[in-house]
Amino acid sequence: MEIAAVLNSLEPAAASLNVDQAEAQEQVDSLLYDQRGSDGKFIGPAGSGAFRVSEWEPGKRLVLAANEDYSGGRAFIDSIDIRMGHSAADRLLALELDKADLAEIEPDKARDAAEHGIRLSVSRPDELIALVFFPGRSATQDARTCEAISRSIDRSSIVSFILQRQGEPAGALLPQWSSGTAFLFSTAPDPITAKEISHQISTTTKIVVGYDLADTLEKAMAERIAVDAREAGVALAVEPVTPAERKSGKLDAELVRLRMISSSPRESLVRFVSTLEPLTGLDPSPVPGGASADQLYEIERNILSSYRVVPLVWVPEVYGLSARVRNWTMPPVGGPWPFADVWLEQQQQ
Amino acid sequence: MTFRTKLFIIFTLALIVSIGLVAVGVTTGARRAFNQLNTLHSEAFVAQFEREFQRSEQDVVHKVQGIADAEGTVRMAIDLSRPQADVSLYVNDARGVAQSHQLDFLDFVSSDGSIISSTEWPARFGYKMTWVTQPQNWALVGSFLMKVDTQNGPALGVMAVSTVRVGDKNLYVVGGERLGKDFLSSLVLPDGMRALLYQNLSAQFDPVNLIDQTGPAFQAERFAPFITQQQQHPAEQLFKISWTRDRASGEVFHALPLLGRQKELLGVLLVGSSQNQVVTLERQIRMLALEVVALGLLFGALMSWWGAARVTEPVRKLAEGARAVSEGNWNTRVDVRGPHEIAELGRSFNRMTQQLAEQRERLLQAERVAAWREVARRLAHELKNPLFPLQTTVENLQRAKSHHPEQFDEVFRESTSILLSEIQNLKDIINRFSDFSKMPQPELSTVNLNDVVRSAAKLFEPQFGALGRPPVTPELHFDEQLPAISGDAALLRRAIENLILNALDAMPAGGVLMLRTTHDDHDVHLEVSDTGTGLTAEECERLFTPYYTTKQHGTGLGLAIVQSIVSDHGGRIWVDSEPGVGTSFHILLPVKPSPHVAPAPPPAAPQPPVVVETEKV
Repeated sequence: MEIAAVLNSLEPAAASLNVDQAEAQEQVDSLLYDQRGSDGKFIGPAGSGAFRVSEWEPGKRLVLAANEDYSGGRAFIDSIDIRMGHSAADRLLALELDKADLAEIEPDKARDAAEHGIRLSVSRPDELIALVFFPGRSATQDARTCEAISRSIDRSSIVSFILQRQGEPAGALLPQWSSGTAFLFSTAPDPITAKEISHQISTTTKIVVGYDLADTLEKAMAERIAVDAREAGVALAVEPVTPAERKSGKLDAELVRLRMISSSPRESLVRFVSTLEPLTGLDPSPVPGGASADQLYEIERNILSSYRVVPLVWVPEVYGLSARVRNWTMPPVGGPWPFADVWLEQQQQ
Repeated sequence: MTFRTKLFIIFTLALIVSIGLVAVGVTTGARRAFNQLNTLHSEAFVAQFEREFQRSEQDVVHKVQGIADAEGTVRMAIDLSRPQADVSLYVNDARGVAQSHQLDFLDFVSSDGSIISSTEWPARFGYKMTWVTQPQNWALVGSFLMKVDTQNGPALGVMAVSTVRVGDKNLYVVGGERLGKDFLSSLVLPDGMRALLYQNLSAQFDPVNLIDQTGPAFQAERFAPFITQQQQHPAEQLFKISWTRDRASGEVFHALPLLGRQKELLGVLLVGSSQNQVVTLERQIRMLALEVVALGLLFGALMSWWGAARVTEPVRKLAEGARAVSEGNWNTRVDVRGPHEIAELGRSFNRMTQQLAEQRERLLQAERVAAWREVARRLAHELKNPLFPLQTTVENLQRAKSHHPEQFDEVFRESTSILLSEIQNLKDIINRFSDFSKMPQPELSTVNLNDVVRSAAKLFEPQFGALGRPPVTPELHFDEQLPAISGDAALLRRAIENLILNALDAMPAGGVLMLRTTHDDHDVHLEVSDTGTGLTAEECERLFTPYYTTKQHGTGLGLAIVQSIVSDHGGRIWVDSEPGVGTSFHILLPVKPSPHVAPAPPPAAPQPPVVVETEKV
């Protein structure tokens, strides 16, 4: 039995940030029995996964074979053929055409997929999409500009229309289900205040916001942010960029995705802070070990009060499953894919 | 300027004017015709645009109505009419519907004016489109031009609105087509014409908003004044833009304002008609006209020259003939051929000169005969006078020899004395004739005629008051400003002496002899007048003929000599006379032309120009 999966996050080039690559590597590591070098040669045992690498084309294809010696018992399926580098539409199409048993689906396509009869597996919202303003840009030097933009954004409309209700408006760095303090950060738009600030600063320089060229969700969100900012009187242009263009210096801000690495708010916040500080140029905000919820809240508030980081929405992980996939359970936040327990129903000829 | 040249110029000018008028007429007419044609093309294109625009409007209305009538749209309207309807379900519907209906703009708008789904700006969901909810029967409105806000900025669109009503709620379908370069590309343009569209999307003229079918228009800023004028007063307008100094680069534009629902100016259609073909054709016609003119002028000039020569050649020959005749060439003949009047004139001229020559020859012959007769008469007369005493003396000698031998010696002495005297008299007569035949050529020098006249007059002073004859009173009037002349003083004096002598002979009873000198710019004038018996007109005519005399003992050579001297000095002599009153001889001598001749010395003190000296002897 073989499971064919079409995954996006294993493709380093398609990941919006390095964190995704690292996260993906963790997923793979947890599955692997042995470890191989960049040349594909066996290096030595690594991990204690249910599968071992059978074929490996970095960024394109990964074939895993069941580890006969897995301590937890041999997996039900013999192998997993993971193909990477396909667009969201192609992944969905592969699923609909039964060319894949499992595929990542963009949250905004989840409703369509469900209407087309695809089984969905939706996680809790564990990925933050935020607008990050880069330091040293004249257009956003004044924090009030960033504040005006932040206040102008109608996050609920983004969730309703763009995400098709697959997500939550985000006002904090951590989700409510994780920190319990997210409700303290407002997500409601405040166009009146935004306009007032805009009139006060009366800037005419157009702010350029970048988004991942291959990410249609980010594109739609960026365009909506531009509309909201325009209504508030802030000129904002959106610019698709490739990963190589991110550091070109032409962008004033960018949409970034921050995925929680665990359900622990502290661990995720540490990861978020370490990721955001180099991007925003904010002063380090050390997250002490064993920090309380109040301390985490303060750290979040300190970071967000600068308006250099503007949380937008929380989105879940959505997987589409073919009809024959059985015993698939949504992995825990930051946890490995449960391929070891999955089995495939025999198709009737 | 010769007659031929004048005729040539007249012919040529007439030709130039004629051909020029034709060329100008052809060029002007061609230009007018081309301009009219151009205007017709432009108007036809504007009419075509209006038809295309109307067709697009109808097309848009039908498409939007089709979308509103579609099952999916009706289902959407029904769904949205429910309480707590989830509008987010339809956020992406507009794009697909617009593509299937080939619309550039499509919005689904809810009953409260919120945008549910938008093609031109998908991210505007949730925002209000309030104008569409205003009470309006959109079915009656039809299509209209509108400024549409899109993701990439405002654009012009031909729009229509259709309503799907479910219960008390409306779903508005707002759709349209972009009025841009694709629309311009759809227009079929004749060669040399193009269409531009100015999208009036900003308060001031913005060159970026002027497009043609390929994109932003070239040198759009050149249209600024005309667009600004349209923005202030929208109306059809014609104007011309010359892109370079070359007139062929010019382009005539027909500006057609495009108005929105509120009659606001949303765009200006500019139908450009290149002047290149027109100007090129005009130039070709002008070039052809110039070539024709040049050839015509060349041919006309040649023909004019030939015609002028043909007309004037006989006249020139006649003029040369007349000049030759005036110079004394009486045998001159002109060769004028042809049957026309000029030839007849030439033949008449030839007949006239022939007759003149024959008459002159006869006159000369007659004059020669008369002159010889006069010479013979004068010789006979002159010789007869001394011959008679010679004959008488010789007969006295014969008689004395035969009848009175004793007295012969005495008679012989007396007779030989008489014979010698008469022979001397004969010699004198012969010498005078000989002198006349041997008149010397004047030896010219600077001469003051006043001095010559004074000298001559002084010679005759003894005779003016001689005893035994009535006195003659001389009156001398000298022009002291008299310029010098070039002459032979001795010959001139001889001539003046002859005239004075004639005057004295003409006044046997005494009288007044007047000598007067005057001058003008060219000549000096000497008048010798007497108050003698005067001459008849016939005598005046023959007075200067050699050997003609009115005196009892004159040789008739005096005045001939005078005339000869005056003629040799380049002068002229004539006589005025009236019988019983007196005679005046007038001599005109040219003023000396040489610059070396010293002018007469100026008077020491102001004096009257004429001095009258009266001497009574």
